[in-house]
Amino acid sequence: MKSRISQVSVGILAAAFFCQAALQRGFIFNQWKQSYSLSKNNEAGLSIGKGLDPLQMVFALAGFREMIAGILWVRADDFFDSGNYDAILPIIRLVTLLDPSEIDVYATGMWHIGYNFTDEEQRSDRRYIPSALALGEEGARNNPDTYELFFETGWIWYHKIDDDYEHAVDWFEKAQKRADMIPARKNLLGMAYQRAGLVEKGLQKYEDLENEALAAYNKNANDFSSRQNRDVIENNIDTMLVRMVQRGYVAELNKRSLEPYDVSPPFDVGFSAKATVVEPNVIKFEGTWNVLPVGTRVRVVLRDQEYTAEVDGKMKDITEPGGMIWDYSGNVNLDPPRDRTFMQDQLFVRNRRFNRKVDMSKDPTMYPFTSDKYLIEFFYDPRSAPPHIQDKFSWNGEGMTDKNFLNTKIRKDTRVVYATLTLTKDQIKRRNEWADKVPVVETSNYKEIDKAVGSDDVIVDIPSLRAGGK
Amino acid sequence: MRPIIAIASTTVGEAIRRRVLLVILLLAIVLLVVAPGLGILSARSETTVLKGMMLGIIQLFSAVIAIVLTVYMIPNEIERRTIYTILSKPVQRWQFLVGKYLGAVAALALMMALMCVVLVVVFIIEHQDLAAVADVLKAPMMYFVQMSLLAAVAIFFSTFVAPLVNFFLTGGLFLLGSLFNPFFQTLQDNASTNPVAKNAAMIVNTILPNFSNYNIQNPIINPNSQIQNEKTYYISITFYGLCYITILLVAGIWVFDRREV
Amino acid sequence: MAAAIETKKLTKSYKSRQHGLINVVEALDLHVEEGEIYGFLGPNGAGKTTTIKMLLGIIYPSSGLGYVLGKEIGDMDVHRMISYLPERPYYYEHMTGPEILRFYGSLFGISDEAKFQALLEKVNLHRDTTKSISQYSKGMQQRIGLAQSLINDPKLLFLDEPTGGLDPIAHREIRDLILSFRDEGRTVFISSHELSEVELICDRVAIIDRGIVKQQGKLTDLLRGGRIEITVTDIDKSIMNKLELADSSVREHPLGLLLDMPEDNEVNAVIDLVRSSKGKIVSIVPRKKRLEDLFVETVSVKPRSSSTEGVK
Repeated sequence: MKSRISQVSVGILAAAFFCQAALQRGFIFNQWKQSYSLSKNNEAGLSIGKGLDPLQMVFALAGFREMIAGILWVRADDFFDSGNYDAILPIIRLVTLLDPSEIDVYATGMWHIGYNFTDEEQRSDRRYIPSALALGEEGARNNPDTYELFFETGWIWYHKIDDDYEHAVDWFEKAQKRADMIPARKNLLGMAYQRAGLVEKGLQKYEDLENEALAAYNKNANDFSSRQNRDVIENNIDTMLVRMVQRGYVAELNKRSLEPYDVSPPFDVGFSAKATVVEPNVIKFEGTWNVLPVGTRVRVVLRDQEYTAEVDGKMKDITEPGGMIWDYSGNVNLDPPRDRTFMQDQLFVRNRRFNRKVDMSKDPTMYPFTSDKYLIEFFYDPRSAPPHIQDKFSWNGEGMTDKNFLNTKIRKDTRVVYATLTLTKDQIKRRNEWADKVPVVETSNYKEIDKAVGSDDVIVDIPSLRAGGK
Repeated sequence: MRPIIAIASTTVGEAIRRRVLLVILLLAIVLLVVAPGLGILSARSETTVLKGMMLGIIQLFSAVIAIVLTVYMIPNEIERRTIYTILSKPVQRWQFLVGKYLGAVAALALMMALMCVVLVVVFIIEHQDLAAVADVLKAPMMYFVQMSLLAAVAIFFSTFVAPLVNFFLTGGLFLLGSLFNPFFQTLQDNASTNPVAKNAAMIVNTILPNFSNYNIQNPIINPNSQIQNEKTYYISITFYGLCYITILLVAGIWVFDRREV
Repeated sequence: MAAAIETKKLTKSYKSRQHGLINVVEALDLHVEEGEIYGFLGPNGAGKTTTIKMLLGIIYPSSGLGYVLGKEIGDMDVHRMISYLPERPYYYEHMTGPEILRFYGSLFGISDEAKFQALLEKVNLHRDTTKSISQYSKGMQQRIGLAQSLINDPKLLFLDEPTGGLDPIAHREIRDLILSFRDEGRTVFISSHELSEVELICDRVAIIDRGIVKQQGKLTDLLRGGRIEITVTDIDKSIMNKLELADSSVREHPLGLLLDMPEDNEVNAVIDLVRSSKGKIVSIVPRKKRLEDLFVETVSVKPRSSSTEGVK
């Protein structure tokens, strides 16, 4: 009797064993990997494919990681209130490792890293931007079904970097593919297309959005927001069509002469600049820009001449003329390169002149000046210009020229103004021979003027997009 | 089958009167009630944090209750000699073991149900969203299967191991089993892993009880991703649990049958 | 008469790290008749409980055979006809008396409430039905144990130390109950070291020491060999010594001389001698052999060389 029972029990055990093994191998593990694992690599294009960070693996203990992530994020809130911004960084990294599905943490983290680190004069510490981008990319990779992190990453390109708009376009397009994208935010892609010089695509986008908006409006004529949406888009289309004509875009398409239009002949902006190290780590930038209407912002960058960072295990120069490879890092590294110096600011033109003192002495952590040689870059891209200036310069700078500093090579299909000056460490720090001598570097065409700056044709201040609106 | 049911119901009666378990349960309930006090962030983050906390508390405490409930069950019966009055009746040893297990699972279900009631009440007070509540309750259901499996592990070990050793053994196996899917995935995805290690990991993943299968709470806490085949997955992991519980009970019966009490 | 319990060279050994193989029960040959009360005696650690557990199929013998009610030990059908009251038992504390009976009844498939009530009355617990076991005294616990052992109307009961730790009144109650079992035709196998109780109720006994049965048989047979004390006066010691009786002694006594002799011997011869010597017989007192004597005799025999402590 006992042996018969044993046979039955052996049979049951074997059957149960094979069932569970077959289930686990055949279905459960793959489904788990796809749906519940820490890294769900659903979109092949975005995945790095290295699996889990070993630290993440340790944290995958039972179901507690979301709980720990929640507790940590509540802690981070305290730090936001008390202003201890640096302490938030490790928490962001930890929480996103523990629970990569927490979109809010990624989004808040990106905003925090990209926008909150500034110097005493509200200049953004751009050395953090690659980290913000890497965080956004990781967040998008881990949450591919929602539009949010694609949008946030695109926003960093569009608004913070305010350059290389092809990237913004790319990310906004990805965002729009997701089903949960908010209609109101879709308009931004139209703007991004224009900034990237893809004018017709921008128009097409608005037209597609108009169809969507009309459909939504027709479904519910009483809904205020869908009516407003439709109106805004129709307005956008009207404005754009007018601009396209005004700027000679249509004429050029039809191969007609640009002469009747404002863009022809191109206007010589007459750029010249001078940099004076008035005190150690304090530089005054002055120069000319012949555009009278308010609205010109010339970008000035002061950086290590050789700005390197680790890419794929090797140190590479990540700068480009007039720009930088902002998304060089695939991995999130919340520690910026602290021995590099990168200052970026806007020079506002008033009365055809710009004059700005950039004080880098108050923030030694942001401007360490460890390198020996520094490059000053002046850069103007008509793609970033406000509409009333673009009405003259057009989208690609056809209506703009500069006798000395026009450059058609460093930006694809765009005419930009680009000039450089160099300084040494001793000059910036006013050391050794430069302790008593004032270092001055200037472009070849710079001329001193006799009149004092600030004449009668006063122009209204241009509101800044940065903090304070000043 | 009546002996099994009789043994199961006395087990439940005993379990719900054990002071240690009641204290743990009370602690869990207090934490659940206090959890909303932590949600002070943006509206979506608040819900996320709340869900994460409450589900985490339920899972953690259920695991502790499951282990503490079962490691002492059979050793206690032997020590107090209640087992002799039962085995001297026409009750087979396997009926005794199965009865004790079912009683433990029933007691566990009662305690988890109580925690879920508190969860539902707190959630409704905070959010008044019944649909979300139904969604959240999917997790404790799967946790129940997970804890039943854990209880089976503990009962299996209790047939030949002392309670204190069993506590660590079962707890250790729970942690190991919870890590195994992620660990195996890392090895699988990383191209440079040693193939021997990969195969060894695959074998272990197939043999050991995979508790990580049941950690389905992430999409519930962060409902921004679409899960395919959700119901099929739930059914398959439940069936997996049943298979594994069968294995453990049969093995436990084998050991228990040969054991001197 | 059929044998209620029969064992042939039943042995249980354990491997111990220090002492090698230990025989807790060695080559046990038991024979218990149906309808009798059988006492199984021995000091602590002698192997009594181990033997019972083997007979109940709770532990497995290392060698030898055992039969309970004609079937091999471990047969589940036999379990329907036997019952067991363990030493110092513990019952689920949260249950009341009736609930305990219901629980054990359900293990047999018995749910007769009237029967449970009758059992409670039999053990005099019908007035405490709402008390939980945690509130029971030791005597009450023993009595509910006896009640649960009667649920299935067993033909054979195994009682392990049924009167352990009870007060004299409780002793008597239990004793009377056990005697009533015999009147009802049941066989009772009692393991105990309360010799006075065993002596009062058992028909046959076996004495086990260090795993080996030293004595086994009817109590009356085993306790044969009592002595007689004859107290005499007015007689000379030398005359008494003339008797030359085997296994006897004469000694001084406050009342005269005391002759201590085995009871089988010629009492009449002694009386004649005393009377013919003009002596006086003060008293003739038979002293029966006590079980205690037998027990002490049996277990104080020198131990064998190979085994040491028994394991329970």
